[in-house]
Amino acid sequence: MMIIVIGITLCLPSAGLLLIENAGQISQNIEHEAEISIFLGKTVSKDQIDFIELSLEKNSLIKKTHFEPKLIAWEKLQSKLDVAVSSSVSNNPLPDAFFISLNTLDEIKIQKLIDNLDGIDGIDSVTVDGNWIKKLRIGLSLVKLSVFFIAALLIIVLLVVIGNTIRLQTLTYKDEIEVSKLIGATNAFIQRPFMYTGILYGLGGGIITISILKLSVLGLNATLIKLASIFGTNIIFQDLPHRFYLYIVILAMLIGLISSYISARNSIQRLKIYK
Amino acid sequence: MITFEKVCKSYPGSPEILQNINLEILSGELVFVTGPSGAGKTTLLKLISAIEKPSSGSIVFESQNLSHIKDREIPILRRRFGMIFQDHKLLYDRNCFANVALPLEINNMSFSDMNRRVRAALDKVDLLKKEKMMPITLSGGEQQRLAIARAIVSRPSILIADEPTANLDKEYAEEIMNIFYSFQQVGVTVIISTHELPSTKINFKRLQLIGGSIQNLIGHVQLPS
Repeated sequence: MMIIVIGITLCLPSAGLLLIENAGQISQNIEHEAEISIFLGKTVSKDQIDFIELSLEKNSLIKKTHFEPKLIAWEKLQSKLDVAVSSSVSNNPLPDAFFISLNTLDEIKIQKLIDNLDGIDGIDSVTVDGNWIKKLRIGLSLVKLSVFFIAALLIIVLLVVIGNTIRLQTLTYKDEIEVSKLIGATNAFIQRPFMYTGILYGLGGGIITISILKLSVLGLNATLIKLASIFGTNIIFQDLPHRFYLYIVILAMLIGLISSYISARNSIQRLKIYK
Repeated sequence: MITFEKVCKSYPGSPEILQNINLEILSGELVFVTGPSGAGKTTLLKLISAIEKPSSGSIVFESQNLSHIKDREIPILRRRFGMIFQDHKLLYDRNCFANVALPLEINNMSFSDMNRRVRAALDKVDLLKKEKMMPITLSGGEQQRLAIARAIVSRPSILIADEPTANLDKEYAEEIMNIFYSFQQVGVTVIISTHELPSTKINFKRLQLIGGSIQNLIGHVQLPS
């Protein structure tokens, strides 16, 4: 029963970690596709456009450059807008624009690039399309912090629960402990079996946690595959790296060990012998 | 071997159980601690085996002062004693062999040596044929013999028995006492708390406790048969 309690309790922060890892992966993938939009002035000349394009292509931070003339942009917008709306606008309000993809996620470098671009003659405004990614990142950090906080609380709960179970076990084996003490067993000798029990509880609980997580990922992906065929998406729920599962088991065993050590030590020391 | 000097013992909120005890127990002696209930016999034995510490005075066991013994040294000290209790304190979820083997497990003895010693101890108390039986299936006298086997398996220099025959019929009681006498004959110091003195012809020392004091410290006494 104890290993089930441990297993399910550890599932909660582990599932949170799984969600964070997947959200982090998604945000990184999106970031790699994030663009900077460079809007040119209305009166920019062709030479200036060529100069800007050359500057962009020479810049090592820029992976890809795409120029969209204002005429093409206007035609695209018109095809999206209602005919009545587009016919009410006689002049093309859109500027020429460059859309660039970066090969860095370094915020300092990106900001320096933006500052440099702002200083180039002919460029009217520079917009980083990935601002919302920043917000997503901050949100993820907050979620991570919350998950760790909840995990810490749950670990404390587990320490108390396992400790109480071990304490009750020491009461069950009171006679054996008393006899062992009377015939010369050290407290460490007497404590050892209880600590082994704690470690085994942790190991069993860790295995249950891993099993639940693995089954959950399999189940989710089975559903996502079906959804992918309907909606044309290719989102798959990523499993945690294997080392994370090892960490979960080690953490569970450590919790079992620490809790049983403290509880058994206190119980055995307090046990009165031959009263 | 064991010396008490002005030893007093009291518990918080209670009157003194032992008052100003001075005694000496030499190696190889057979000592009976007698007295009415509440006289302090069990307390005296607990002081010798470091289950309790004296409130004042000093207890010296082979040049080790038990009054100031450190907690980590107590288990090592207790391994030098063989203790037998009025209620046996056997482990009823283990068989006879496992009960007797417990002190040797604590000493990390190898299985082959353990096997040999346990069987020798069981043989000494005439329980070798019952090594695989559970203690609950034994008679009162047999259970006490099993407790003695556990006490002697690690070959202690001192046996301490707290009213070992209190719950036994006369027939079993004599049997148990004879076992103790046989150990004392080979040089083991035997200290027994009891209400009754032996009726057989043997040499022993008697410590008579009344009201927490030794009223009568008699030297070697030889009773007529």
